[in-house]
Amino acid sequence: MVTPLEPQTGTSEHAKPPFWRNVTVLKWIAQIGFLTFFIWLFYILISQAVSNLEGTGIAFSWDFLAEPLGVLLGEGFNTSPGSGIEALAVGMTNMLRITASGIVAATIVGTIIGVARLSSNWIVSQVANAYIEFFRNIPLLVQIYFWQSLVLTLGELTVEEEGAAWFFATSKGIAIPWLTPRAGRWQYIALLVLGAFVTRWVYKWRVRILEEKGVETHAGSWALGVFATFLIAGWLVHPIMGLFGFLWSALAWVFGNVPVILFQLVFAALAAWLAYRFIKNFLDERRTPAGLAKLTDDDYFRLTVAGILGLAGVAFFLLGPGNATVSRLLGRDLTFSMNWGLEPIFSFLAEKFDFSTGLPLDFSRPEVVVPTRFAQYSPAVGKAFTPAFVSVWIGVTLYTAAFIGEIVRAGIMAVHRGQNEAALAVGLRRGQVLRLVVLPQAFRIVLPPLGSQYLNLAKNTSLGIAVAYAEVVQVGQTIYNQEGQTLAVFIIWMAFYSIVSLVLSGVVNYYNRKMQLVER
Amino acid sequence: MTEDRKPMIVSEGVKKWFGDFQALRGVTTTVGERDVVVVIGPSGSGKSTFIRCINRLEVHQEGRIAVDGIELTNDLRNIDAIRREVGMVFQSFNLFPHLTVLENITLAPIWVRKHTRTESEENGMQLLERVGIPEQADKFPGQLSGGQQQRVAIARALAMNPKVMLFDEPTSALDPEMIKEVLDVMKELAESGMTMIVVTHEMGFAREVADRVLFFDYGTIVEEGTPEHFFTNPQHDRTKLFLSQIL
Repeated sequence: MVTPLEPQTGTSEHAKPPFWRNVTVLKWIAQIGFLTFFIWLFYILISQAVSNLEGTGIAFSWDFLAEPLGVLLGEGFNTSPGSGIEALAVGMTNMLRITASGIVAATIVGTIIGVARLSSNWIVSQVANAYIEFFRNIPLLVQIYFWQSLVLTLGELTVEEEGAAWFFATSKGIAIPWLTPRAGRWQYIALLVLGAFVTRWVYKWRVRILEEKGVETHAGSWALGVFATFLIAGWLVHPIMGLFGFLWSALAWVFGNVPVILFQLVFAALAAWLAYRFIKNFLDERRTPAGLAKLTDDDYFRLTVAGILGLAGVAFFLLGPGNATVSRLLGRDLTFSMNWGLEPIFSFLAEKFDFSTGLPLDFSRPEVVVPTRFAQYSPAVGKAFTPAFVSVWIGVTLYTAAFIGEIVRAGIMAVHRGQNEAALAVGLRRGQVLRLVVLPQAFRIVLPPLGSQYLNLAKNTSLGIAVAYAEVVQVGQTIYNQEGQTLAVFIIWMAFYSIVSLVLSGVVNYYNRKMQLVER
Repeated sequence: MTEDRKPMIVSEGVKKWFGDFQALRGVTTTVGERDVVVVIGPSGSGKSTFIRCINRLEVHQEGRIAVDGIELTNDLRNIDAIRREVGMVFQSFNLFPHLTVLENITLAPIWVRKHTRTESEENGMQLLERVGIPEQADKFPGQLSGGQQQRVAIARALAMNPKVMLFDEPTSALDPEMIKEVLDVMKELAESGMTMIVVTHEMGFAREVADRVLFFDYGTIVEEGTPEHFFTNPQHDRTKLFLSQIL
């Protein structure tokens, strides 16, 4: 005979197991154990590196960032930077130039290749196939060397070529007509940013009317019209934006003159606020109409860690400069007296925003000038790309495009065949089927792998060092060869690439979330 | 075909190969205006392939097909014209998952018929009411049950005002309790005078609604007749065997 089990609520053993069998306690011990271990490991690694450096006679410091530096860079907005930080900034912008334009170009080429690969035209699909197999299977470094040697075998730029033309391609690089930025560009850009906000507002306003009254309000056309007005009228009236100059100089004065303690307070408050927001959002997410949902052990642990991090942040910013470890790690000079670079940024902007009536942009053809015995491209007009830039740009673009082509092809093929048939059956033409039904669905599938190709492209620009392209790795290496601050440069590299990658993947993830198909 | 009706779909000796497998071995039949024709047969008998040939989702290699007097040839203009006149409902619904229910319905009227958005949406809402789910207009297909999705698919096909509706096993992917709601919509459609070709295994529907039943096997029409003749007095051995297995 089977007797039903008695509920054993009363026994103390059931209510409270010994701690070595208590899952809650064990989880906490494990979490705290791991956290302590990683903090300890990190501390050991850093302090070891610092003391090793001291052993070689080179004390770890960030001083080189501010000190004059005797290097010449191959290209960039400033080829003879006055300090380490300026040199690194040139390297970073050079890296970003290739990354940004390379991503756009690789996406366009890759999409064309991917669609062509699926073409029913045999020759077109085989050409696309050959492209993919060729570029995908050769190391990028080899490809970059190949493009470099190709550019260098172009004819030499001779003094006979002096003068303007539409196009130059020589071993000094490639020069094309370009919209050269002029003095008025800062005001014009600010006006366009303002225009973008106004456009957004107008669009939402028209959509609201559409929703309330149910009449067609042509929100898209309105938005387009407003932005076009800013684009065209802004060309004439952009000096108005010189008004902002007063705002920038006021901000620069504020950041230059407020006492350091204010920054400490602001940043400490920011740290506390971030921790508070995290905890609040966390709890809000678990709030149901019936009240706060029961929290799990993991939830409590996360809340505790957030709280501790918040307090640590407050302590760091309030006590930071006095703390021996922190000042040793950060270097003695990088204290709050630098105002975190805000003062120079706003002084720079204040200087650029005036009521000058100069054109924002100027279309010009490239020109060959002969300042000494040798011919060169004029830096003032047109746009000249150095052989290093051309070889890295073509290299990463064509290489990444091959991968993007495969991703696009897979995305299109992953859209169910039935979608195609249903779209044809309701009478859409082939082009409409692709544009209205297949590509919007393929785009959702393609986004995540596309994002990781963008990250690859960004990181692959570091191969520019092979052809002496002055990007951040090449510049950094030049600096530590000269100054010996290997660790500091490594930290800057890691921070820079992390920030670029996080921003890129943040953008891709944002669109990915927006594009998700709604199900259930 | 009831003799006095004008022919809507004409098929003469239609043959179709997939590689060296012959799926259709000469299909000849005529479907009149307002006729409801139910096609039955074992799987692989070519019944789906046949109706997919009618709107060129499959290309037949021999024979001739004409819809409402338009010859189905390699001429893109004819293919487009026929696809505008022929609506199709699939076994797996094939709704566009990135568009709302209403957008699914208005897509073709807007892009193919060049109707305005307001006009198409009004018409779309009427169709959703006709199939009984106007409250789902702003949802996405993924949020609907199978039966609801199939009813949206019918509304989507009707939005083009087709002269002919093709149904390719419309209830085969549905749970039993959802089959009825879809069949009810199809019955209403048949009563309203739509010309329909329905590939199905629903014998009840065939018996109740069909003007004529075609029995397909091995790529040809083995036997055809009224439902009464078909279910009570089949002539062909193959038909008898098939019916004995499913009834």
